Amino acid sequence: MSFAMGLLNDMAFAAVPAVGFALVFNVPRNALGYCALGGALGHGSRFLFMASGIPIEWATLFAASLVGMIGVYWSRRFLAHPKVFTVAAVIPMVPGVYAFKAMIALVEINHMGYTQELAGAIAENFLKAMFIIVGLALGLAMPGLLIYRRRPVI
Amino acid sequence: METEQRAVSRLIAQAGRMLLAHGAESTLVGNIMNRIGKAAGMDEVEVSLSASSLVVTTVAGGHCITTARRCADRGINMRVVTQVQRTCILMEKGVLDHSGAQEKLDSISPERYNRWLVVVMIGLSCASFSRLAGGDWLVFGVTFIASAAGMVVRQEMGFRHFNPMLTFGTTAFVTTLISSQAMICHLGNLPFVATASSVLMLVPGFPLINAAADMLKGYTNMGVARFVMASLLTLATSLGIVGAMMLMNVRGWVG
Repeated sequence: MSFAMGLLNDMAFAAVPAVGFALVFNVPRNALGYCALGGALGHGSRFLFMASGIPIEWATLFAASLVGMIGVYWSRRFLAHPKVFTVAAVIPMVPGVYAFKAMIALVEINHMGYTQELAGAIAENFLKAMFIIVGLALGLAMPGLLIYRRRPVI
Repeated sequence: METEQRAVSRLIAQAGRMLLAHGAESTLVGNIMNRIGKAAGMDEVEVSLSASSLVVTTVAGGHCITTARRCADRGINMRVVTQVQRTCILMEKGVLDHSGAQEKLDSISPERYNRWLVVVMIGLSCASFSRLAGGDWLVFGVTFIASAAGMVVRQEMGFRHFNPMLTFGTTAFVTTLISSQAMICHLGNLPFVATASSVLMLVPGFPLINAAADMLKGYTNMGVARFVMASLLTLATSLGIVGAMMLMNVRGWVG
């Protein structure tokens, strides 16, 4: 698969979960399209950052900042808080597998006794998940931290 | 004046309660409560938030009113959050006074999307995660079936008001039972991707992002409370996964 096809594949399959989770969060109907677009742009830009050799945590921060900035623009047109669109849009980037791996290793230590590998799995996966989550939250908050420091976005 | 201040205090408390119960981040809850109060002519509005309750004090003409409300979690609902925010903006623009805003808040219903649409879309979402993780179309299909079935279980338990942790654990158990068939029957190129992707609908992504955002913006206690809640949900989900894997005697996640 060529690079462009890989990117297109990545963006298409990130847009679907963004809409799926937007339905669970009950995002208003006319905002669903923006969630899909945000999901595709966010995950696609992270794909590009990671392809250029940036580690996943930093790539997530940059991608989430991009989504956060676009979210502010949309939120003014739509008269809704940016999180209404942006959280659903970054859901494809949430480190679910890392979080579950850490928790499952915790359960396994209790079940089968302590081993170095399991303890390592907890530490590595937990830290990876936490740094990515913080990257997402920080990225989405970026417009508020840099531009709208003491006033609300809308 | 005092009766008006009382009515405004109730309005602010109700708006805050609706926002907090439906998954808004703390900064937004605090800001909106403040702005509604100022728009309704209060001199000062002070808000204190905790995980399951809120306290608001309004000051008007040197007279204080303090009121506390308990707010149970009603599930994330961005429609309610948007409508409360629009009410606030309309008050600031002078279109609504406090009694008009009260009527508007009372008329907001936490309406949800059609459940079968949600089931299909969540199935497709988890199946897309499996594609992103490198699975082929057979893995895609297994993931779709497992997570759609899991979503039905989750909705049924949600309608019956089971404890969220019990709901998440049971849903993870059922989902993994179905998706582990891929590993037992050696379906697709990467059968373990199906088990890993199908439970991703249970990651508490919104609460985790809210938790980190709250801590970042100075609402440390709210952030810690939300983080603990999200971690417990993740733990409950993991227990469900491990239980199903032991029952089916497959191991795909660790070791």
